[in-house]
Amino acid sequence: MNNMIAFAAAICVLTGAAVGIGISIATGKAVESVARQPEAADKIRNVVVLGAALAEATAIYGFVIALMLILFK
Amino acid sequence: MEDIGSQIKELVELNKQHITLFNKEIEINDSIILMWIVMAVLIIFALVFTRKLKTIPEGKQSFIEVVVEFVNNFTKDNVGHHWKIFSPFIGTVLLFLIVSNTIAIFNIIPSGHDLYRLTHIEFFKEFHFELHPPTKDVNVTLGMAILSMIAVLVSGIKVKKISGWLKSFLEPVPLMLPFKILDYFIRPVSLCFRQYGNILGAVIVMKLAYTAMPLVFPGVISIYFDLFDGILQAYVFCFLTCLYIGEAIE
Repeated sequence: MNNMIAFAAAICVLTGAAVGIGISIATGKAVESVARQPEAADKIRNVVVLGAALAEATAIYGFVIALMLILFK
Repeated sequence: MEDIGSQIKELVELNKQHITLFNKEIEINDSIILMWIVMAVLIIFALVFTRKLKTIPEGKQSFIEVVVEFVNNFTKDNVGHHWKIFSPFIGTVLLFLIVSNTIAIFNIIPSGHDLYRLTHIEFFKEFHFELHPPTKDVNVTLGMAILSMIAVLVSGIKVKKISGWLKSFLEPVPLMLPFKILDYFIRPVSLCFRQYGNILGAVIVMKLAYTAMPLVFPGVISIYFDLFDGILQAYVFCFLTCLYIGEAIE
């Protein structure tokens, strides 16, 4: 039973991989657009922070669920 | 391995202080005491920094003017027209979250066992209190999230009046009604878990670093996990609150 719980928690934390890819794509595009239009840097920064925060929430959900699986079984 | 597992479990569970007052035992959560500490720090700073204000700023007054200017510009950019009502609220939440997320860098309280060995006072034997961020407790962040959702509700009703506010549920198409209602429940949950998960993750990683390699290494990664992450999460929380308010009063 314990092995299965550890396995499930590991799968939950795998959400981090997808979120990492997502945030890196967003940041890469932001860097590109700042290089193209340096005067819009402020607006782009706000949008990127918002997007990264929203994307990151998915990884956090995975992390919280993994913690719950391990600690409150 | 068992040892570090139980240590991490201790971090996640809520620690309580038992205080005897007038022959009654009172239980107080650690996070409440930590929030009192944060409030005391903020109030003392506010009192010290706003004494003897002058027209031409100098010294500490110019610092506090930079902070207020930053909060005002931040709110003006994100909320829009009615920024003047909301900038005190946003500023308070921002300062509170920044101080409470980064409070872990002042965690220099020795453990109760060490204090007992040094002083031989019985009281310290059971004493266990550490300066962890209060936001690692899910109840605190849920409280903050509900507070910001109440701000969104009140601002929407106040600016649009009740009829306009009710009508905004049916815009742009009446089909959106269930999603608009769901928004009011999903947003606080997402705000709450974002803050909680990030801070708890940072606290656990720092604990692992302290156990694995107590020399120099925790100091270096503490810059990221305690300072940068804490300030960024406080910023994101206020940013999202601003966006929601801006959308409600549009």
